[in-house]
Amino acid sequence: MPRAPPREKRLSPFALVNNRGIYSWLFSFYAPIGIGVVVLYTLIIVVAVLVYRRRKVPNRVHEAHRLELSYVVVLICMATGLLYLTYTAEHKVDDAQAYERPALSIDVTGARWEWLFHYPRYRITNESGAVGRQPLVVPVNEPIAFHISSDDVIHSFWIPEIRFKRDAMPHHTETVDLTFSRRGTFSGSCAEFCGLLHADMVFTVHVLSDSAFRTWAASGGKAAPWRTAS
Amino acid sequence: MIGSLTSTDHKRIALNLGLMSLFYFVLGGCFALMIRTQLAVPGGTFLSDQKYNEIFTMHGSTMIYLFVTPMSLALALYLVPLQIGARAVAAPRVALTGFWMWIFGGLIMQSGWLSTGGPGQDGWFSYAPLSSGTYTPGWGMDMWVLGVDLAALGMILIAVSVALTIARHRAPGMTTLRMPVFTWTALVSVLMVIAAFPMLVVVMSLLFIDRHGAHIFVNFQGSVDYQNLFWFFGHPVVYVMFFPYLGCAAEAVAANAHKRWFGYMAFVLSMMSFSVLSVSVWGHHMFVTGGVTNQYFAFTSTLLIVPAGIEYFDLIGTLLGGAIVMRTAMLFALGFFVQFLIGGASGIWTASPVLDYHAYGSYFVVAHFHYTLFAGSVFGFFAGVYHWFPKVTGARLREGLGKVHFVLLLIGTNATFFPQLILGYDGMPRRIANYPTHPGWQLLNDISSVGAGIIAVGVAVFLANLVVSLRRREAAGDDPWEGQTLEWWTTSPPPRFNFERPLPPITSYAPLLDLRERAAELAERAQEAQPRGAEV
Repeated sequence: MPRAPPREKRLSPFALVNNRGIYSWLFSFYAPIGIGVVVLYTLIIVVAVLVYRRRKVPNRVHEAHRLELSYVVVLICMATGLLYLTYTAEHKVDDAQAYERPALSIDVTGARWEWLFHYPRYRITNESGAVGRQPLVVPVNEPIAFHISSDDVIHSFWIPEIRFKRDAMPHHTETVDLTFSRRGTFSGSCAEFCGLLHADMVFTVHVLSDSAFRTWAASGGKAAPWRTAS
Repeated sequence: MIGSLTSTDHKRIALNLGLMSLFYFVLGGCFALMIRTQLAVPGGTFLSDQKYNEIFTMHGSTMIYLFVTPMSLALALYLVPLQIGARAVAAPRVALTGFWMWIFGGLIMQSGWLSTGGPGQDGWFSYAPLSSGTYTPGWGMDMWVLGVDLAALGMILIAVSVALTIARHRAPGMTTLRMPVFTWTALVSVLMVIAAFPMLVVVMSLLFIDRHGAHIFVNFQGSVDYQNLFWFFGHPVVYVMFFPYLGCAAEAVAANAHKRWFGYMAFVLSMMSFSVLSVSVWGHHMFVTGGVTNQYFAFTSTLLIVPAGIEYFDLIGTLLGGAIVMRTAMLFALGFFVQFLIGGASGIWTASPVLDYHAYGSYFVVAHFHYTLFAGSVFGFFAGVYHWFPKVTGARLREGLGKVHFVLLLIGTNATFFPQLILGYDGMPRRIANYPTHPGWQLLNDISSVGAGIIAVGVAVFLANLVVSLRRREAAGDDPWEGQTLEWWTTSPPPRFNFERPLPPITSYAPLLDLRERAAELAERAQEAQPRGAEV
C-alpha cells in the first residue's frame, strides 16, 4: 500500500488507529450478540423440552416454509450486520494504518527461540526469549512501524495488550503500524508453534511516556526508566 | 477373527473401523490427560518440552485422523445402506481396502514413538518449514507424514464406497429427497472427503519429498502455499467431523420427540450450502499470515451463520409439539446442540479478522474447536451410540449408567474448555509446554485439568456401560424407540444382507413413522365409523 503524502507538516506523528480501541469497539458488538444468541437458543431449547416432556400425542407439523424463509432473511441480515462491523474495523486496522507516518520503526525478527528488537535509528538491539530477557520498549500513543520477519520457521508476534498479532514469516518482512494507548508493562509471546522451546519465546513490553522513551533511547538502551516510573 | 477382518459386509467393516477409532479415542484421551497434567501448574515438569510437543501433536493427530473423521465414516458405512434399504454397499472391496490402508496409516503414524527422535511433533497441521527435514529431521516425523497420507487415502476409498452406494443402491421409492436426515449428512460428508482429502494426500506427499531434499515449501511463498493447500483440506474436514454427528443428534431428537425432523427441505439445502461454503473458507486459518485476502474469507466464514442457524430452527421445530422422552441418546443430542452453540458463536468470532488477530494461536481457538469437536461432535457420537447400539448388538445400553456418563461428560467438558476461552482472551498461547506465573492463569488451568479428569471418569463409565450391557444383555428387539427409518425395520443385529422381509413402502424420509401415522388414522376412522354404524 503506497504511503499518502502528508497534508501538513507536524512535529510529532499522529496515530490514526488505536488497535486496542478498535478491538474493544468490535468486541462491544460481537460479545453481546454472541452471548445473547447462545443464551436465547439454550433457553428456547430447554423450555421446549420441559414443556413437551412426556406429552402423549405429538403434533405432525413438520414444515413452515414462509416462516423458514423469513428466518433465513433474518440470518442473512445478521451476517450482513456483522460483516459491516468487521469490515469497518478491519479497514482501520489494516488499511488506514498504512497512511500513518510513524517516526519510529522497529525491526522485529523471530528466530528459534528468541525475538530480536532492533531500533535502526538508535542502534539498539534487544534480545528476548531463550537467550535473554531484554524488553521491547515503545513510546505511548505514537504509531510505530514494526517490520516483522523470521530467520527460520514461522513465528507469530503477539502482544495481547493491543489485541494484535502478525506472523513472522521466513525471509519476508511484513510491516504493520501499531499504537500503544496505555502506559505500563505488558507481556508478549510467540503464537505460532515453532519447535522445542516455543514456550520460551516470550518478551516484556514497556510502554513509556514520550520523555521516558527518549531517555531510554538516548542511553543506548541502558537506562531502565520503567523501574522508577512505575 | 480373520473372517471378520476380511469380510466385505459393510457392517463388519464399519464395526471394525469404529472399534479401532474408539481405541484411538481412548489413546488420544490419554495424551490429553498428560497435557492437562503438565499444565496443572505453571512451569510444569511432568513432561519435558520435547515430550510435550510430541504428546500434543499426537493428541491432535490421533483424534482428527484416527478418531473423529474415521468414526464419522464408520457411522456412514454402517448406517447408510440400512437407511436407504440397500442389501450391501457398492464396491465393498474398495471399502475394505480403504479400511486396511487406514489401519496401516494409523499404525505407521504411531510407530514414530519407537524412533529416538520421537513421533510427529509439529502439531496436527505441521506447518512447513518447521516440518521440513531441516527443522524436524528423523524418521519418526517421516512416519507421521506417511501415516497421515495413507490414512487419508484409505478414508477416500471408504467415502467412495458410501457415495456409490447412495448413488446406485437406494431401494425402489427411496428418492434422494426421501433419504433420511442422517443419510443426507453422511452423503455431504463423503462428497467432501472425495473433494478435499486428495489435497491432503498431495500436500503430505509434497511434504515428504520436501523433507528428503526437494525443499518445496521454502520462504514466505512456500509457507503460505503449504497453508493454502493444507487448509483446503483442513476446513472441509471439520465439517466431515461434524455432519454425521449432527445427523446422529437429529435422528435421536426426532425419535425421542416422536416427530419427524422438522424442515427437511431447509435442512437438505443447509447441508448443501454448508458444504459449498466449507471449501471456500479455508483462509480464515491464515488471517495473521498477511498472505490471504482476509475480507473474502471473513465474508464466506461469517455466512456460515445461515446454514447453522437453520439447523437450530429445525431442532426447535422438532421439539415444539413433540412427545419428548428424555432417554440418554436424547440428552446427548441436546447436549450436542446446546454446547455447539458456544463452538459456533466462537467460530463466528474468529471469522472476524480483527477479533482473530487476538484470538489466533491462543487458547481461545483451542476452546473454540474443542467446543465444536468435543462438546459437539463427540456428544453427537454418543447420542448415536446410545441410539443405534441396540440395532448393532441387539442389546440396550444401561440407561442409568448412560445418564451418569452424560452428567459427568457435561460437567467435565465445560470445566475443561470454558476456562480456556478466558485464558486465550487473557493472552495464553496454545501449544506451550509451560506457562509463566500470571495472575489467574493457574486457577483457570487447574479447573481445566480437573475437568479433563472428570471427562476421563465419564468415558470410563461409558466403557463400563458397554461391557455391562454386552455381558448381561437386555434384549432390545428390532425397534426399541419407535424408529422412523428403515434400519429399524430389520432385525437387531441386521442379517448379512440387511433385510429379510420386504421393505415397507417408502413414502418420505421417515417411512416407519408414515406407517404408524397411517395406522393411527385408520384406527381413528374406524372408531369414528363404528358409532355411526350403530345408529344405522
